[in-house]
Amino acid sequence: MLLANHPLLGKTITGDQTSKLTIRVAEDVARFSLRIDPASAPSAGTAFGAPLPTRIGGMVETGGRTALQLGPDEWVLTAPVGESDGIADAFAALQDPHSLVDVGHREVGILVEGEAAALALRSAIAFDVEAMAVGTGCRTIFDKAQIVLIREDKNRFRIEVWRSFADHVWGILQAVSREIALGI
Amino acid sequence: MTNFRIAGKGRVNRSRQIRFTFDGVDYAGCEGDTLASALLANGVHLVGRSFKYHRPRGVLTAGSEEPNALVGTDRGNGRSEPNTRATVLEVFDGLKTESQNRWPSLTRDIGAVNDALSMLFSAGFYYKTFMWPKSFWDKVYEPVIRNAAGLGKAPTAPDPDTYASRFAHCDVLVVGGGAAGLAAALEAGRSGASVILCDEQAELGGSLLSEPAAEINGQLAWDWLEDANAALAAMPNVTVLPRTTAIGYYHQNFVGLCQRLTDHLAIVPEGAPRERMWKLRAKQVVLAQGAIEKPLVFAGNDRPGVMLAGAARTYLNRYGVKVGNRVVVVTTHDSAWHAAFDLAQAGVEVAAIVDVRGTVPSQLAAAADALRIRTLIGWTVTGTKGRLRVSSVRVNPVTNGGKVGAAETIACDALLMSGGWTPSVHLFSHTQGSLTWNEDGQMFLPGRGMEECRLAGAGKGRFGLKAAFEDGAAAGAAAAADAGFGAEPAVYHVEGELSFTGVTGRELPTDRDPGHAKAFVDFQNDVMAKDIRLAVREGFKSIEHIKRYTTTGMATDQGKTSNINGLAVASDALKRPIPAVGLTTFRPPYTPTSFGTFAGYNKGALFEVTRKTPIDAWAEENGAAFEPVSLWRRAWYFPQVGEDMHAAVARECKAVRSSLGIFDASTLGKIEIVGPDAAEFMNRMYTNAWTKLAPGRCRYGLLLGEDGFIRDDGVIGRLAHDRFHVTTSTGGAARVLNMMEDYLQTEWPDLKVWLTSTTEQWSVIALQGPNARKLIEPFVEGIDLSEGAFPHMAVATGKICGVPTRLFRVSFTGELGFEINVPARYGRAVWERLFEAGQRFGITPYGTETMHVLRAEKGYIIVGQDTDGTLTPDDAGLGWAIGKTKPDFVGKRSLSRPDMLAKDRKQLVGLLTTDPKTVLEEGAQIVLDPNQPVPMKMVGHVTSSYWSAELGRSIALAVIQGGRSLQGQTVHVPMPDTVHAATITGMVFVDPENTRLSA
Repeated sequence: MLLANHPLLGKTITGDQTSKLTIRVAEDVARFSLRIDPASAPSAGTAFGAPLPTRIGGMVETGGRTALQLGPDEWVLTAPVGESDGIADAFAALQDPHSLVDVGHREVGILVEGEAAALALRSAIAFDVEAMAVGTGCRTIFDKAQIVLIREDKNRFRIEVWRSFADHVWGILQAVSREIALGI
Repeated sequence: MTNFRIAGKGRVNRSRQIRFTFDGVDYAGCEGDTLASALLANGVHLVGRSFKYHRPRGVLTAGSEEPNALVGTDRGNGRSEPNTRATVLEVFDGLKTESQNRWPSLTRDIGAVNDALSMLFSAGFYYKTFMWPKSFWDKVYEPVIRNAAGLGKAPTAPDPDTYASRFAHCDVLVVGGGAAGLAAALEAGRSGASVILCDEQAELGGSLLSEPAAEINGQLAWDWLEDANAALAAMPNVTVLPRTTAIGYYHQNFVGLCQRLTDHLAIVPEGAPRERMWKLRAKQVVLAQGAIEKPLVFAGNDRPGVMLAGAARTYLNRYGVKVGNRVVVVTTHDSAWHAAFDLAQAGVEVAAIVDVRGTVPSQLAAAADALRIRTLIGWTVTGTKGRLRVSSVRVNPVTNGGKVGAAETIACDALLMSGGWTPSVHLFSHTQGSLTWNEDGQMFLPGRGMEECRLAGAGKGRFGLKAAFEDGAAAGAAAAADAGFGAEPAVYHVEGELSFTGVTGRELPTDRDPGHAKAFVDFQNDVMAKDIRLAVREGFKSIEHIKRYTTTGMATDQGKTSNINGLAVASDALKRPIPAVGLTTFRPPYTPTSFGTFAGYNKGALFEVTRKTPIDAWAEENGAAFEPVSLWRRAWYFPQVGEDMHAAVARECKAVRSSLGIFDASTLGKIEIVGPDAAEFMNRMYTNAWTKLAPGRCRYGLLLGEDGFIRDDGVIGRLAHDRFHVTTSTGGAARVLNMMEDYLQTEWPDLKVWLTSTTEQWSVIALQGPNARKLIEPFVEGIDLSEGAFPHMAVATGKICGVPTRLFRVSFTGELGFEINVPARYGRAVWERLFEAGQRFGITPYGTETMHVLRAEKGYIIVGQDTDGTLTPDDAGLGWAIGKTKPDFVGKRSLSRPDMLAKDRKQLVGLLTTDPKTVLEEGAQIVLDPNQPVPMKMVGHVTSSYWSAELGRSIALAVIQGGRSLQGQTVHVPMPDTVHAATITGMVFVDPENTRLSA
């Protein structure tokens, strides 16, 4: 196998000394965009090996596989990289009409962690990030880039962004971390 | 240097001295000073020259409404700004400031000749004077006017500062941190609501900072203020933002706040932004912006040393600065009396209080008597003297009948005036909330609101501290309640209230010719009362027209000190009540705001997203020149040492035609269309027929709009019965996906098909040239690449260099070609592996310019370059791409409209110049007869034009009316220097039989 060329590879933005904010690139995952009639969500869950959430914004994590519902008939599925082929095969056998598209290389994951994580995101996200429930995700705009934002924990967010927009998002997070480190 | 500081007064930190300069002179100030207070402490009143007449001007106010004291600032390291208001600029060590609009110096200014000639520069001067001769406008009048116009010097160097932005949501936003705002924020904060309190000044308090003697609930004002600050700081649900101006109030309680972060610092931390724009959505808003004092309109009211009484009181009580040694007060309102009292008690000689009213409250007269201040009740001011600073004031008695008596001159070095107070309703006005005229108070007050918003205190005409506190507390509690939090407003006891009655009027009565009085209404734009009266005499009736004709209220201060006075004069001249004259609309921003704040992070590298492919870094390392294509930057050409673009492109073209070129096509838009109805969806969207396209085969797809005009195109591969891999143009990717989604969701929700953008899932490497197959054969697994098994327009999945690939046999060059799709993260590695192995074929990386030349040689169009949104498939020579037997597709019905079938439509054709060395300009117009009179009839234009190394001559594509029927005819392309002749040809210049595609 050839060397994968990962955008932002190995990059980290360390915040101030008190570690109110750390920003780093997430480890690679397998990603699929699943489109299916919500009535077929249970059988899709069977194929995925983990149940699908049934509420937009909802997220279910089972044994390292995660399903996030982004729209009425849209889920994004993530799993460890090595499980990608197995998931594709399982869905190939699914009889219900659906679309499963591999988007594993389309996106980059960025983890924003720390007490100031929500504050940092508020610099470029218009909706009320502070009010976002833990364990939910949504598609939104970060400055000028479309992203999927997931709140993994009170102080840990994950940004999923198309790879050519990742530098822009990273650049803004860098500027924002500087403000937060300076306390202004 | 004279010191005007008074011992024991003010709250600036006298133990912390600040050194700064004004016009090159070194001055000392104190921590907590504004530039205005620090200059006044040094006895400096003259700070600038006026806009139009270059009249000497001083500090008029003590706040952000200042129209006069605009200075240039230099904060070091290239950070300069014109027109900074000295009354809000905080001094810091090393600050350099200078006066504006004067030459050679502030005290001796050549432009002041305009003042002597002021009778010539009346309202509408430009409109009247520069009408004739017309030809003079462009060359003489406009350049001269432009040179003379404008205060200050715009910086010439790029702004070195960075700016920030932040979104915020809260239950209650309180704008203004004076008595009303503090009471509102305390109330809302105690209720548990999330509260943001912003104030434009460096410290909270508003008028309380100028009222140290007032007692609130038994505490002196500043003690109460300290406790209030502490209480707010102790509430985790309250955010206090000083130095933050609410600049605009938009729909659904969206408020823009501009926060000044570092302008006041002598040493700015590395990487610290200068300002931050808060984009705030509040459930409830409380506007507690207070009121702005009105000047009086009389001759000579603009001389340095003439200032608002409230401002003088602020300079005394807050900054410990006396504005003069011998002061006269002129007023129509009680509040100015208190300025006289405070100054007298501080040891300043108050020569007289002139009150234009016939009677005044008896307790004021008694207090003046006690301080032995001379009072002139029912008198008027009719003039001032003093070249660079007021030296005397001319006062006259006015009889009951309105007759102005004999003048008396009183010497003074400061003249304090007050025409009453104007509630600051700007933000409320931004919301389109209506304003109603209050006849008693002679002011506009907020009427019906459009937003979840309430006003409090002086901002809605509730003057006085007790009223402000109680109104603020009530507004804060009500706002919290409306946001879902219970609150019971506190009660406030206030001692030491000011008296707040007064009248408002037009110009003060005078015994002189009002037509010659330099009685200013708008200080910043130099508009006098007589200008407004002239406008009315010339027929202007609406304040909107009067404003534009005279420019009153049109300066950067938006007439904060002048609007009501201007209205009063206009109303008097029109003999109509003020509400019938109207009020101009306030617009954001409330105060001048830097462009940087609006831009936020979007400057420099973050100005706009620059999308880069996974192979972009390789191109950069290998010396590519880049060009922007939509948001992407793409390798344009790869110049070798000594090559210009022309030479590089010729070499790259030759390599592709003779052996092998490699091209990064990753930016191509890609959409995966999946589902049992995928082919049906394709049939409806694209002009072509898809049902019979077998899996493993590709087809050129053409997409129209409903109007029948070409929108996009691309090669589309069918991967399986229910799966298509669609490619779009680079710039069209998002547009096409949106269009498809629109149709799918609104027209055909019954179709079982889904669309997913895969543009960035795949890196695309185009290998083009006769040696393309030979290069990749050893690297490909699982695909038979032989001509029979994998012909032109085939697609297959397999592996290349060990990674998964979707391999397309396609060509945008006319040569044998492949487009290798690999998962994005492997793009660069596969590219490098193929590039290394391709050395034996002289593999040559090429960019978008070469791609354009090669496709033009084959007559392949580029949507958006050869088409412009008015070309049908037939116009573009693509009639063959229409599935004639299909029942429908997007745009089909439009194609049968009569004008779409007209013979003389512009059609895409080839052009060969008579002189083979001439490369036509893209966009050049085409005529049939170059000898016809101008304006000639233009029959089309050049859409693509290149030098073809392959043919050793130029080639071009053009749209020409009825072009296809004019094959072989000569047309002409007139250019500024010459007229080029060219012959209309077919569009395919190289290999018309397409033998190379299958080489």
